[in-house]
Amino acid sequence: MPDILSNVMCPVSFKKSLDNLAADNRVLFAVVGDLDLSRRYGENMVCFGEDRLWVFNSAHTDEPLEMKYSDLSEAESKRMYGNAVFMVTDNSGKRHKLIRYTYAAAGPGDAAADFVNDVLEKGFSEELIYAVENNFKRLRAFCPKCGRKLPSPDSECLNCKGKGKMFSKFAAYAMPYKSGLIVCLLLSVFTTAASLAPPYITGYMVDKVLPEKNASLLYKTILLLLLIYILQYVVTAFRSYLLRRTGDKIVISLKKDIYEKAQYLPMSFYDKISTGHVINIINSDTGNIQNFVLKISQEAIVQFFTLIGILVIMIILNWKLTLFSLLPIPVVAMIGRSFGKSVGPRYLRILRRNAYISGLLTDTIPGIRIIKAFTTEKAAINKFARYCDDWMKEEKGIASISSIFPAVMTFLVTCGSLIIWLSGGSFIVSGREGFTVGLLVSFVSYASMFYNPVNFFANFSDTYRNTLASAENILEILDAEPEHNFGKDNVPKRLEGRIEFKNVNFSFDRSKKVLSNINLTIEPGDVVGIVGTTGSGKSTLINLIMRYYDDYDGEIFIDGQNLRDIDMEYYRQQIGYVQQEPMMFKDTIFNNIAYGAPSAHVEQVLRAADIANAHGFICRLPDGYDTLLGERGIGLSGGEKQRISIARAVMKNPSLLILDEATAAVDSETESLIQQAIERLINGRTTLMIAHRLSTLRKANKIVVVDKGEIIECGTPDELLAKKGKYYKLVEIQSMGEQLQKRKAEEDFE
Amino acid sequence: MIRYVEGPEIRITGNDGIFVNAEFYHSGEKFEELEPRRLFPKSGGNKYIALLDSEGEQIAIIRDIDDLMPESRKVIEDALEEYYLIPRITRFIKMTDKFRVWMWTAETDHGTLTFEVRNHISTVKPLYDGRVLIKDANDNRYEIPDYRKLDKRSRKLIEPKL
Repeated sequence: MPDILSNVMCPVSFKKSLDNLAADNRVLFAVVGDLDLSRRYGENMVCFGEDRLWVFNSAHTDEPLEMKYSDLSEAESKRMYGNAVFMVTDNSGKRHKLIRYTYAAAGPGDAAADFVNDVLEKGFSEELIYAVENNFKRLRAFCPKCGRKLPSPDSECLNCKGKGKMFSKFAAYAMPYKSGLIVCLLLSVFTTAASLAPPYITGYMVDKVLPEKNASLLYKTILLLLLIYILQYVVTAFRSYLLRRTGDKIVISLKKDIYEKAQYLPMSFYDKISTGHVINIINSDTGNIQNFVLKISQEAIVQFFTLIGILVIMIILNWKLTLFSLLPIPVVAMIGRSFGKSVGPRYLRILRRNAYISGLLTDTIPGIRIIKAFTTEKAAINKFARYCDDWMKEEKGIASISSIFPAVMTFLVTCGSLIIWLSGGSFIVSGREGFTVGLLVSFVSYASMFYNPVNFFANFSDTYRNTLASAENILEILDAEPEHNFGKDNVPKRLEGRIEFKNVNFSFDRSKKVLSNINLTIEPGDVVGIVGTTGSGKSTLINLIMRYYDDYDGEIFIDGQNLRDIDMEYYRQQIGYVQQEPMMFKDTIFNNIAYGAPSAHVEQVLRAADIANAHGFICRLPDGYDTLLGERGIGLSGGEKQRISIARAVMKNPSLLILDEATAAVDSETESLIQQAIERLINGRTTLMIAHRLSTLRKANKIVVVDKGEIIECGTPDELLAKKGKYYKLVEIQSMGEQLQKRKAEEDFE
Repeated sequence: MIRYVEGPEIRITGNDGIFVNAEFYHSGEKFEELEPRRLFPKSGGNKYIALLDSEGEQIAIIRDIDDLMPESRKVIEDALEEYYLIPRITRFIKMTDKFRVWMWTAETDHGTLTFEVRNHISTVKPLYDGRVLIKDANDNRYEIPDYRKLDKRSRKLIEPKL
């Protein structure tokens, strides 16, 4: 049987009957649903042919329910909340619910409904299948190795590429500095060895030097000890300096990498995550990783060797006493383990609360104007307090465990030394042969040194958990799918600016379709006004043209080439983008204008400012082009910022100009200045303008009216006025409003 | 102007499961094929149910459907039940973290299923009353009515993520 196109594998229970069906009919594709009609998780399926469809559900497993398209008037994939129904309306107007599915199958469901409606409208043609195929292809983009969903069929699975091993990923950051780390390690092996000598020497002193009352030997031994100590601590100081530098280098390279990655993440990533969280990851989670890398590459190894070294020396000195001093070890290890188990999950929780707090901060501190305006300081304070209290609650749990744990450990260690005093002391009291006071003294010192590494490894799980949580956060960014530049290096000589939308559907999340069935052609040099009420999808349309989102259904062509296949960097460079609320960076006016072209000549920048009607006001500023703007351009008025952002667009000399309500937030005098600037800029470029004030659109030769995610009217302004549709209505309302305003102004004047 | 209706002022009859018909007693107006929608699907329960016509325009808001007459109430509740699918998780069976993709297997009041969760900090939202809202990678929603009342094993699985 040929493989039938479907969103997921055909359920086993329908397989046989589908085979039978496909033997006699041409089955084009199938939509498999994951809910039954009574909304329990289950399986059902609709198969689509050229002139009919077949429904498989719990009532029709063997023999599908057959429906001819000619008996139907409409098909719909009705999206509801968390689920959708595929419905058809028959010619008598009766609705039939065929199958139900969660959002997992909502995309294919939409495509299938579009298919049926197209067949009903225009009759069946092969072309219609391609649209469905395109939609399904995206869903079938799974990594063959790990089964993870990929953004497109051609992209590489980041998980499998990185072997999925967290450790090797972070170790890669330490690799460039391995020589430094190795030197540190050797130095610490030296200091460890040096630290093992003094207990032996003190034992020697107690047994040999002191009883024999040999003064010169005493001085010599003490001198030796002094030398060892000096050497040990000099090397320790040098090592810790070296280690710190190396660690800094590692963490900085990690930070840089995360920041770089964050720059290339798609808009859809930022739609779903708070920027505070990202800032937190870059700032503090990297520190945890640094600590961990140093711990594992240095201390862990050193402690391990210390452990072995002491053990060997102790056994050589006296194996019986060694056994006694090891008695508390199993208890210590067990307690360490249970500690890790109870503390680990709490770290994840702490982390979430940290993220809440920093999210709140990044929300409210920049929003301080609004808070003051609405006098919601108290509410903000209370919310912050509540978040802090939540954090405290989690922290309290960890704090108590973390404090009790070391105390218990130290207590056990002390008990260990008591055991040695007890057993070793009784050996001496009973006068056992070969057992001296000196031996006991060095043994007690060794035993106390022995518990250090034990303690370290017992506590290690704590550090490890903490790090694991941070590592997970970091990987959330490092492993996120970046924006895909499928058409890298496909750089056309010139962008003419012909834009074509073909059956484009788009939704931010699957719960609501934002754009549906967009078909639109814009010729080079067109000035297109995009009109519609707020929330109608105008800005989303622009977002797609900017290529901020990749996962739309259907296709967008630029100069006849698929948008996804054009080099993304090149393409965006060709676009001049002026926003409603222009973003200014904390830099000079000059640098803000030359933002996209840092190597621009001074006079180019002046010219751009002049074209944008910004030169005049910049000249009047005391610091001129050197004026330093505050965060978000504090110090400039809205209209001034807007003109700077237009100058920025002029600098790029774009082939494609996008103006997103550029004059919405300014007074009418400034508007005319901006309008003038825009008209100079438009000259000879394909331009898309979103505008609420229709007066801004007087240069437009084409108007697109968007409503509820669909294009409802499209044509020249005159055509649309003659049509007396939505555009006509909007113009009427606005001109009426303007007349009223005028009359009012006249009255006031009189 | 938003038109609010109190329970006794309106009669709701069934139409097609998802759709309902409404009749206003005072004005005598009748509407067909209205869709009831929760204005507060996450927090509101039975309060503030909007009635939308086929264009998506709002006809009226029912302040509290508990005040409706029993038959009307049943119709609205059924329609809402049809529209909103938020399975309630009663037990977690398994959580795996393979290649940093979290697959959770859970028992819900709509049956057992396995779903993918990405980035628990933004998609798993614990509320102060013990409720937990979960959104999976396909934007489907789930709810734990009170995580504190789950069995011990389920709690052990979910609590670190809260």
